[in-house]
Amino acid sequence: METLHNLAFGFEHALTLHNLMYCAIGCVVGTVVGLLPGLGPLATISLLLPLTYSIDTTSALIMLAGIYYGAQYGDSVSAITMKIPHASSIVACIDGYSMTLKGKTGLALFTAGISSFIGGTVAIVVLAWLAPVLGEVALLFGPADYCALMLFGFVCVSFVTTGSLLNGFAMCMVGVLLGMIGTDVNSGVQRYTMDLPSLADGVSLVSIALGMFGIAEITKNLDEKEERSPFNGKINLIPTWPEFKRIIPSALRGSAVGSFMGILPGGGTVIAQFAAYAVERKVSKYRDEIGHGAIEGVAGYAAADEAAARTSFIPLMSIGIPENAVMALMMGAFIIKGIQPGPNMIASHPHIFWGLVASMWVGNVFLVVLNVPLVRYWLSLFKIPYNVLFPAILFFCCVGTYSINNNLDDVYQTAAFGLAGYVFLRLGLDAAPMMLGFILGPMLEENFRRTMLLSRGDFAVFFQHPISATLLVMIALFIVWQVFSFIRNKGATKPLIDVMPQEE
Amino acid sequence: MNDQNLLRGLFLAIIAGVFGVMATRYSVGTFAHAGPGLFPLLVSCLLGVIAVFMVVRSRIVPKVPVDFSIRNIGIIMVALCGFVVVSELLNMIAGIFFLVFVSAFAGTSYSWVRNLKIFAVLLAVAFAFQKLLGLNLPLI
Repeated sequence: METLHNLAFGFEHALTLHNLMYCAIGCVVGTVVGLLPGLGPLATISLLLPLTYSIDTTSALIMLAGIYYGAQYGDSVSAITMKIPHASSIVACIDGYSMTLKGKTGLALFTAGISSFIGGTVAIVVLAWLAPVLGEVALLFGPADYCALMLFGFVCVSFVTTGSLLNGFAMCMVGVLLGMIGTDVNSGVQRYTMDLPSLADGVSLVSIALGMFGIAEITKNLDEKEERSPFNGKINLIPTWPEFKRIIPSALRGSAVGSFMGILPGGGTVIAQFAAYAVERKVSKYRDEIGHGAIEGVAGYAAADEAAARTSFIPLMSIGIPENAVMALMMGAFIIKGIQPGPNMIASHPHIFWGLVASMWVGNVFLVVLNVPLVRYWLSLFKIPYNVLFPAILFFCCVGTYSINNNLDDVYQTAAFGLAGYVFLRLGLDAAPMMLGFILGPMLEENFRRTMLLSRGDFAVFFQHPISATLLVMIALFIVWQVFSFIRNKGATKPLIDVMPQEE
Repeated sequence: MNDQNLLRGLFLAIIAGVFGVMATRYSVGTFAHAGPGLFPLLVSCLLGVIAVFMVVRSRIVPKVPVDFSIRNIGIIMVALCGFVVVSELLNMIAGIFFLVFVSAFAGTSYSWVRNLKIFAVLLAVAFAFQKLLGLNLPLI
């Protein structure tokens, strides 16, 4: 009952004309930019982050959330119509693209849109109910537990996003080190600033994100030198009734799976999609058709995708620890806006929390009524050749970096991270865990130093607290399992996610 | 030397080394009373251990060649840095001009007319940002 009351309170904030507008803008811009080749949700959010600087806090966060799930949907669209996958939409390339090959693009896009709506709705119920409960659990966490939780998050993210614990964890550590740059809050010493005044406040979040995910991605696409053929087929969005009936059960199953996977540390949309797809292949009535363009293959993953995109806000907003790179970026945006996500957020900024939750549902509605019918027009974006697109994206990277501090020198930072990002990419290192490390680095140090101060330098404290002890034991088991499987496979590290269809 | 696994380990080892050595220049302190250098040193050591492990592992697993082309990333870097230099010396209009015309070398084909069109559109966008969104771009 209280939840309902709170939701009503949230809708009061989300349904003002002002916030509705920003929600709509966020969804639309997010979808459009997410559609562009080579720009996944991470790049999209960092590219559009500067747009939100001049807006008030609630609207800015509503708009950012809109950008996020808009980008998520835009990704699916480019995957379904042209098989251009980002990490967040690999599953869409399987059944979604097969449906396009059969001439059922419209049905696939409609299924993805409607399933996203169902997934999002279910996830919001979970979010509204679970986040406050978890927030109370989070108050039991001491500094040692926070340290262990962050390390656990690093391990999970490393494994899920890169498939290699070692590479991912190394990148988390690189991120933590980058997070050390700037003035040490405890002693006032300037660390790693090389006496540059622009580094005294630390490396800018937008510079890292735009460099690593924007510029590095663009260069990678340029290296590939392939011009994508735009989608020219017909789109017939309205499904028949029997087709519509097939969407619902799969979407509901996907929502449940996605909501659950979204909450887990290191979880998020990618793992949720694969889990939902696997579930559909096991239990669906039409499981024989899956893989060859079945509605269920699209509905399940799309619902899980949107559900996980929303429930992954739960750890961020209730415990204050982002569980993946996108949420780390979100947390950065929250902090720029002066909001510290965590157990106290719901109590101290109820209008922001509930307004955001309510706006997620409003964004869902926009996605269905606005984006799905309009998607055919946005697909014409792909008729713009990449040769035209990439100088424009570079320009937006420059303007985005510049407008944070109105300082042109910041563009050098972005360029440097672009170069570093490209080197990482070519060395097979994924930048996503680094993002998480960068955001969590200062928090990890703070909690580590506090733990050590309280225990007078005794490491045993990590094993005396039940929460941190459990988490550390889980990390240890994970490492042992990884070492064991390395020895058994003689070093062939296979990615966890290896279902990219190879044939055309 | 052209082995992704080996180079990855070496690259991370360099990062760990640089951060680790610099960390010792700040006061390290004890665990109970950590100085500013302690935590970075700890993390660098951990990263160093991982890097060494990667180098060792690269001797066991099959080699993977690195596919690294200096051309495109070089052009993009020149375009971005040139954008800053030109914007500071002249103004951002010239900066955008430089950015578009230099970065276009990284594309699959080069066309002056197309670049001029992109430049015109981006200029319009920049003015819109300045006038409508209130961004403080030093256009003139």
